[in-house]
Amino acid sequence: MPMDDATLTPDCWAPLKDSQRQSETLGAVHRTFAKDVWFRFRKKPAALIGLGILTLVLLFALVGPYFTGHDFDDQELAFVNIPPRMDVFVMGEDYVYLSKSYKPILVSPQGHLLRSLPRIAEDLSKKQTTYDFDGQVLTVDFSARPPRLIDPQGERVRYYVTLWNRSYILGTDNLGRDLLTRLMMGARISLLVAFIAALVNLVIGILYGGISGYLGGNADLVMMRIVDVISTIPLTLYVILIMVVLPIGNSGIASIVIALGSVYWVNMARVVRGQILSLKEQDFVHAAVIMGTSNWRILTRHLIPNAMGPIIVTVTMLIPSAIFIEAFMSFIGLGVSPPMASWGTMCNDALEALRTNPYQLFAPALAICATMFGFNFVGDGLRDALDPKLKGR
Amino acid sequence: MARYILKRVGMMLISLLLIVTMVFFLMHAIPGGPFTAQRELPPEVEAALMAKYNLDESLPTQLGHYLLGLLQGDLGPSFKYPGMSVNDFIREGFPVSAKLGGITILFVLLAALPLGIVAALKNGKWQDGMTMLLATIGVTIPSFVIATILLYLFSHKLGWLPAYGLDSLVGYILPVVALGGYSLSFLARLMRSSLLEVMGQDYIRTARSKGLSQTKVVIRHALRNALIPVITILGPTVAALLTGSFVIEKIFALPGMGKHFVTSITNRDYTTILGITVFYAVFLVVMTFVVDLFYVLIDPRIKYE
Repeated sequence: MPMDDATLTPDCWAPLKDSQRQSETLGAVHRTFAKDVWFRFRKKPAALIGLGILTLVLLFALVGPYFTGHDFDDQELAFVNIPPRMDVFVMGEDYVYLSKSYKPILVSPQGHLLRSLPRIAEDLSKKQTTYDFDGQVLTVDFSARPPRLIDPQGERVRYYVTLWNRSYILGTDNLGRDLLTRLMMGARISLLVAFIAALVNLVIGILYGGISGYLGGNADLVMMRIVDVISTIPLTLYVILIMVVLPIGNSGIASIVIALGSVYWVNMARVVRGQILSLKEQDFVHAAVIMGTSNWRILTRHLIPNAMGPIIVTVTMLIPSAIFIEAFMSFIGLGVSPPMASWGTMCNDALEALRTNPYQLFAPALAICATMFGFNFVGDGLRDALDPKLKGR
Repeated sequence: MARYILKRVGMMLISLLLIVTMVFFLMHAIPGGPFTAQRELPPEVEAALMAKYNLDESLPTQLGHYLLGLLQGDLGPSFKYPGMSVNDFIREGFPVSAKLGGITILFVLLAALPLGIVAALKNGKWQDGMTMLLATIGVTIPSFVIATILLYLFSHKLGWLPAYGLDSLVGYILPVVALGGYSLSFLARLMRSSLLEVMGQDYIRTARSKGLSQTKVVIRHALRNALIPVITILGPTVAALLTGSFVIEKIFALPGMGKHFVTSITNRDYTTILGITVFYAVFLVVMTFVVDLFYVLIDPRIKYE
C-alpha cells in the first residue's frame, strides 16, 4: 500500500493486536525444491533447447511411425535406394526418375513415386536397356555418365526438374524400406535403452551403493572390491561379452537390456556410496538412529533423498552413454538384429554405400547427434540447477 | 613405496584372475559347442577334435589348462581358423593398433592441453567459447559418426585424404582425429576447469605479488598443479581409445586388434573373443597401474596408502 499523508491516519499508530502481527510471516512465496530447480533450469537457453529436442524425439518415436504410411520392414524392391531429392526427366506430361541402378521410375509431377517400368530387353554391347512405357519403348543408355534417357521418338531427354521425394521423405534404403519410419523405430530403441539405463541405475546402483556406504566395514570392503574388479575393464567390453554369449532373441533388444542391466550400475553405485558415507555422519541420521528408526527406513527415507542431487546428475550423464553403447553395439553388428532398425545399424548399412547414397548416412547420424546433444544439454542444465556450485565445470 | 607397489600388484593379479575366470565361464555358457555345424561330424572326428582342444575334460580342469597357458603367454587356438592361434592375431594386429593409439594419444595431449590452457586463461572470451563449443561437440557426437562424416567429406567429397590404409602418414590423419575426438574434448574441458580452479588459489596470488610475469606464474606454479587431474584421467583415456579403436579400425579397414576383435565377434570365434578380451584386460590393468605410479611420483602430497 502506498504511504502518503492521506493514508497516515492517527489510528495507524495504535498498537497491533497479536493476531494482526505480520512481521514474522514470510513475504515471498515459498518455493519447493523442485520449483527452485525448475526456476534455475529455465534460465538456461541450452537446457530448454535440449528439453525441446528430447520432447520432439519422444513424439517422433511414439506417434511418428503411425503417420508415415509405411512399415519399418516393408520392402519395396521396385523403389530401392531412392534419395529424398530426385533429378527427374521431363517427357512432355510424364516425369521419369532414373534410379542409381539405371531403372526408370514413373513419378508424379508432385514427386510421388508411381511405379517402375517393366524391362523389355538389355543390350550389353550397346550398353542400352529398353523398357515398356505403356506400349511405347523407352531406352536407357548407360554407355556414358550420367546415363541418358531416350524417349520413344529416339530423342534424348534433356529437360529435368529436381523434385522432393513425397512418397519417402527421407528416401529408401538398399531394400526399399522407408528411412523415415526406420529412423523412428531407431528412436524407440534408443529411448528404450535410455529408460533401461536410468532404471538400472536408479534401482540397482542406488541400492548397491547405498547399502555398501551405510553398512560400512567389511560389507563395504567386499562390495566395493566387486565394483573395482568390474571396472577394471571398460563397461563396453562387458556389454560386448554378454551380448555375444546371450542367445539372441527375436530382435536382440532383450540382450541389450540384460547386458546393460548386469554391469551398467557400477558408476552410480560409487557415486551413491560416496554421498552416503558423508551423509551418514550427520546429526539428522544420528537423531533417526536414536529414535529407533530401522536401517532400511533410514536408508530410504533419510539418506537417499538427501543424495538425490548428485544421483540425478549422474543419471543424466549415464543415459547418453548408454544410448551411445547401444548404437556402438549395433554398429559393430551386435545390437538389434534385422529387420529391426537402430540408429547404429542404419549408420552401418549406410557406410557400405557411402559413396553412392550418402543421404542414407545423414538422417541416422543427425538423429544420434541431436539426441545426444539433447540429453547432454538437459544434463548440464540440471546439474547447474541442482547444484549451482558446480556451474561451468 | 615398495609395499604400495606390492599391494597394487597383488590386487591387479586378483582382479585379473577373477576377470579371466568370469569370462571363461561366460564363454562356456554358450549353447552349442564350437564344432556344431550344419553338417554333423562323425562321432570319432568330433571326439578327436574335443580331445585336441581339451574340451573332453571337466570345466575346472579346462580352466586350469587355460590359466596355465596364460602364465606362459599362450592364449590358445582360434576355433574358426584352424592353425591360427590367438597369439598370431595379436602379434599381427597389436603393432598396428599400438602405433595408431600412440599417435592418437600424442595428438590428443598436444592439442587438448594447449586448448584447455588457452580457454582457462582467456576465461569468458571468444577463445574460451570456441574451445568449449568444440569440446561439447566432441564429447557428444559418437566416434563412429565423426569417422563416417570425416570419411565422406575429406575422402569421398573432397578427395584430399585416403579412405583406408596406413601406407603414408597422411593415412593416419582421419583415423587419429576420429579416434581421439572424444578424449581430446574431454581432456580439454578437464584441463580448463582444473586450471581455472588453480588460478584462483592463494599461492597464485602470492606468486603474482612477488612480481612474477604471467608466463612464469602459469608455467611454474599453476600448470604443475593443474596437470594432476589430467594425469589421473590418462588411464581411462587409454581405455576409451582402445574400445573406440573397434569401430575406427572397422570403418577405415585397418588391420589392427580392434578389427580382429570385431571380426571374431561376427564369426562367433569364442576362443579369440576370450583371448583378446583377456589381453585387453591385462593391458588396461597394467596401463592404469603405470599411470597411478606416475601420479604418485609427480605429486608428493599423495600418500602410498
